[in-house]
Amino acid sequence: MAGTGIFSYAPAIALFPLVAFVVALVFGKYMPKKGAIAGIFATAGSLVLSLAMLAAVAGGEVYHETIYEWTSGAVASEVGADGIEFTFGILIDPLSALMLVIVSLVAVLVHVFSLGYMNAEGETGLPRYYAELGLFTFSMLAFVFADNLLMAFMFFELVGLCSYLLIGFWFRTKSAPSAAKKAFLVTRFGDYFFLIGVVAIAATFGTVAFAGDDSFVTAAETAIDDGTQLFGFDAQTWVTITGLLVLGGVIGKSAQFPLHTWLPDAMEGPTTVSALIHAATMVAAGVYLVARMFGYYALSPTALAIIAFVGGFTALFAATMGVVKDDIKQVLAYSTISQYGYMMLGLGVGGYVAGVFHLMNHAFFKALLFLGAGAVIILMHHEQDMWKMGGLKDKAPVTYYTFLAGALALAGIIPFSGFWSKDEILYDALIVGLEEPVILAAYAMGLVAVFFTGFYTFRMVFLTFHGEPRSEAAEDPHPVGWAVKVPLITLGVLALVAGIANLAPVYKLTGIELTFLESWLDGEYGAVEGLTYSAYGELLAYEAGTIGTEQQTVLIAAGVSLLLAFSGAGVAWKLYNVPEPSRHVTKLGGAYTVLRSNYYQDEFQVWLAEGVTQPIARAADRFDRTVIDGTVNGVSSISLFGSNRVKRLQTGIVTNYAALLVAGFIGLLLVLGLYGGWF
Amino acid sequence: MAVFQLPEWMALAPALIMAVTALALFVFDSISPRSTNRSLLAGTAAAGSLASLAVAVWFSTAGVGTPTIDGGLGEIEPIHGLVVDQLALYFMIVVAIVTALVAVASYDYLVDHAYQAEYYSLVMLAATGMSMMAAANSLVTIFIALELASLPSYALVAILKDNRGSVEAGLKYFLIGALSSAIFVYGISLVYGATGHLYLADIAAVIEAGGADGYGSLLGLGILMLIGGFAYKTASAPFHFWAPDAYEGAPAPISAFLSSASKAAGFVIAFRVFTEAFPVAATQELIGLDWTIAFVILAIVTMTIGNFAAATQNNVKRMLAYSSIGHAGYALIGLAALSADGGELVMGAAMMHLLVYGFMNTGAFLFVALAEHWDVGRTFEDYNGLSAQAPVACAALVVFMFSLAGVPPFAGFWSKYFLFTGAISIGSTAMLAVAAALVVNSALSLYYYSRLVKAVLIEDPLADRGALDQPTGLYAAIIVAAVMTVALLAGFGPIAEAATDAAAAALA
Repeated sequence: MAGTGIFSYAPAIALFPLVAFVVALVFGKYMPKKGAIAGIFATAGSLVLSLAMLAAVAGGEVYHETIYEWTSGAVASEVGADGIEFTFGILIDPLSALMLVIVSLVAVLVHVFSLGYMNAEGETGLPRYYAELGLFTFSMLAFVFADNLLMAFMFFELVGLCSYLLIGFWFRTKSAPSAAKKAFLVTRFGDYFFLIGVVAIAATFGTVAFAGDDSFVTAAETAIDDGTQLFGFDAQTWVTITGLLVLGGVIGKSAQFPLHTWLPDAMEGPTTVSALIHAATMVAAGVYLVARMFGYYALSPTALAIIAFVGGFTALFAATMGVVKDDIKQVLAYSTISQYGYMMLGLGVGGYVAGVFHLMNHAFFKALLFLGAGAVIILMHHEQDMWKMGGLKDKAPVTYYTFLAGALALAGIIPFSGFWSKDEILYDALIVGLEEPVILAAYAMGLVAVFFTGFYTFRMVFLTFHGEPRSEAAEDPHPVGWAVKVPLITLGVLALVAGIANLAPVYKLTGIELTFLESWLDGEYGAVEGLTYSAYGELLAYEAGTIGTEQQTVLIAAGVSLLLAFSGAGVAWKLYNVPEPSRHVTKLGGAYTVLRSNYYQDEFQVWLAEGVTQPIARAADRFDRTVIDGTVNGVSSISLFGSNRVKRLQTGIVTNYAALLVAGFIGLLLVLGLYGGWF
Repeated sequence: MAVFQLPEWMALAPALIMAVTALALFVFDSISPRSTNRSLLAGTAAAGSLASLAVAVWFSTAGVGTPTIDGGLGEIEPIHGLVVDQLALYFMIVVAIVTALVAVASYDYLVDHAYQAEYYSLVMLAATGMSMMAAANSLVTIFIALELASLPSYALVAILKDNRGSVEAGLKYFLIGALSSAIFVYGISLVYGATGHLYLADIAAVIEAGGADGYGSLLGLGILMLIGGFAYKTASAPFHFWAPDAYEGAPAPISAFLSSASKAAGFVIAFRVFTEAFPVAATQELIGLDWTIAFVILAIVTMTIGNFAAATQNNVKRMLAYSSIGHAGYALIGLAALSADGGELVMGAAMMHLLVYGFMNTGAFLFVALAEHWDVGRTFEDYNGLSAQAPVACAALVVFMFSLAGVPPFAGFWSKYFLFTGAISIGSTAMLAVAAALVVNSALSLYYYSRLVKAVLIEDPLADRGALDQPTGLYAAIIVAAVMTVALLAGFGPIAEAATDAAAAALA
């Protein structure tokens, strides 16, 4: 696995955007497009190199190399090595090569789109914008090819920082800084557990490497096989605990329940940033981390079940909230939370391929939808309320058809990409769920969410593009340029065809091998040993059931989800695909208020902060001031008082000294004499 | 090492060099009593003490005192009653270092001062006595050496004849000293009465052979009176009353000399007498109690009185005087720990502390000497804002203060740390109590030491004090002391080894 050939350029994938960051920061002001060109070239360079990596991996090569060791030392870990090394290293295997391509592709398109969205609209602070985009891309790419958990954590944090900066890009408004702070704090809450998890894993296994013989995954497997006790726990329990600690970071970053509240607010950032955050970077980082260390989670059925259940619940929970939103970006925000819930569900039921597949498809169609929404916002002169839109279909056909492609993919309508991956997730969940009630519940929630997804997606499409224009802006939309259209068309095509990568149902029904992604992730072309789908499959403790034959199960699963998707879309069509749609608020009754208020999650978290944490903090403060300070002050008063007394012994009169000296001596004599029995 | 064989009496060279220097200064004084040739006088004294230091270090490295089994030259006993071993050389080095610093610093302190030759010859005579104390191993030689160190000290404290404070301090010191010496010499006679010997090894032999049976309480009283004598010399409670007044009234370099060198010399005789003459187990059988209990009590009381009294002082020199009593309490832990196994580690730590103390405490008093030289005043307030005018000296002062308080990374932290861990590792109730007292008192000491740091660094001066000169000698001595306080860190390994070896050899 030496760094030969093309792989020696691997670090450049991340370094290009870093250079763009520096260039935009330092020279951005003087450049014609304020740093955009540098960013486009850098990310395009990353994309080319990533594609080359993809080709190299397809050619059967992989790359795992330590680039820089920043510290090492001898430690007493619970099992395994006596020493630990903290390094920066690069791991390029099928998973990371695929993700590198996705991230750099979306980054290029977002940069190009920004020319139309930011530059053409005459925004200020553009050098800062492009610098932050560059840093963001750099962090994510470095996170993706990280070969150990600590490096991953560092870039995970950097990703969080960059999203904070970008969400708060319009820092002069009131809401943007507040949303940025919220995103930062909520994800930091999750990352806190992640950090503890990293420390726990390092302390347990003496290694933080993802791959290789000395990875913590291998060490954990050995520990479980040997029945080792780790920190007083059964090895598997300890793996579950540490895995769940790391999962804390994932839940925060991937906006899973209950740490999802930051994401809708994050819409305060520029729409391009939302596209990047939702499709390829910030939010994707969480799910990617689970996929990256999937071998570790595969060792713990409990952790997997929790992942699956949280995923299924989040999918449904977020989808219901998306139903009642008026802001086009808000709808997309909740759809993102929901879709990442699906990915977690897929990974949680052992559907490693399905989860990664959906991660890829989602990256394309969600970037598409956000950029499409950005285009709509340009068309609408920065109006985001869908009730003020309508009738854009004919005035902006490119935007409409590409957006529609994304919507069909999101809703999971055959044959768009989203259908294939979502169907595979639900199928995997179903077959495991037939044996495991908890997973079945998660599956059921995921299934119901399909209906809501279809509904809110097409509600959005109909309100935005169909019917009569409901405002002056909608009647006379602002034109969009090529910088907007090119990314839309690229992604639109991908949203349509990306599903071909893994047509698992087709294979199961007809036997035609159209499962490239599965073969890819299974290392048929090239892989690092132990990081393949089949290797994970051996670790999994799940059993799969079927309804009738396998073919029948496939058909039932696909049929049910497709039926639900169509019915959701159909209801939306019935209600909103009319010239003058109305809100239909009353039909929901009390549920409407609950949904509009997002199940009072924000209120709940504010209550947690103000009603619980603050009183505890106050009590701690009072304890500190009265008891602690009181003790400290008391000690010092007593000392000073004692000092004054002792000082008075020294009268300055030498006869007193002599008397005291003799008295002291006699006192000592009496004590010791009595003690020693001299008298 | 030794290419040619020196005569045995040359083993006492470190003390003899001091004596010769003192006599040379005496001769000079007789010829030219009013000489104010400061360079010559201070130079002679400094050269004498440095020569003594060099010889002592040479002997140490050459293996004098190291047991012959380990390839050393073994202990050398040129005269019955004086022995040169590792313990003796270690303390001769401490005494020589302090004497050299004091001699150099006095160069500036004694400007416009009469009786200069007399001053230096008294310092050298006292140093001779202290060096002899390090070597004395018979109660007679101990007493003579102790008096040799004490008598010049009385005169030195009172040498500012026109200064009422100085004269008063000298008289108090002398009276308390006379009382203590009386108690001490009475103790010697009681020990002699009980055992029939003055030579330390013979006393131990008699006690172990049971030759003193029936005289247990007599011996016990004698031992207690000896402790009184040591407590006086080391300024430990309840014989400490002279110290604050004497240190305050004396010229500051003499305060430095007495509180560092004289204290160290007091400890060496205590270490030697109690390790050689009164074996713990046999003595306990005879007198009915473990004599270390007396040191446990004295250690706790001494450090508590010293630190508590120091806490609210307004006069810097007086604060340092009390802090010096507190440090005597710390060093007493070395004796308190002797009863148990592993005592040599704690005693070694106490010896290390005395060496470190020789630098940091001398340096602190020399800073006071510098302040007196500048005539800025005596209280904390008078020192306010000095760092703006004398940054280097104040930086050194900060080093001394934090090292005295035992703040890492300074040498004072490490010696105190070894004392603490040594006491903890013995683990008896008494030693745990001592360790706890050490911690509490150290915490309190940080308060008053940092008060001084705050005054010189942070506070604004109360009044404009005009330009301050930079006396070469005082500055040199202060900077050397500060540098050594920091640099000892690097050399702490060998020093700790030397101290522990010496302690182990003394205990063996």
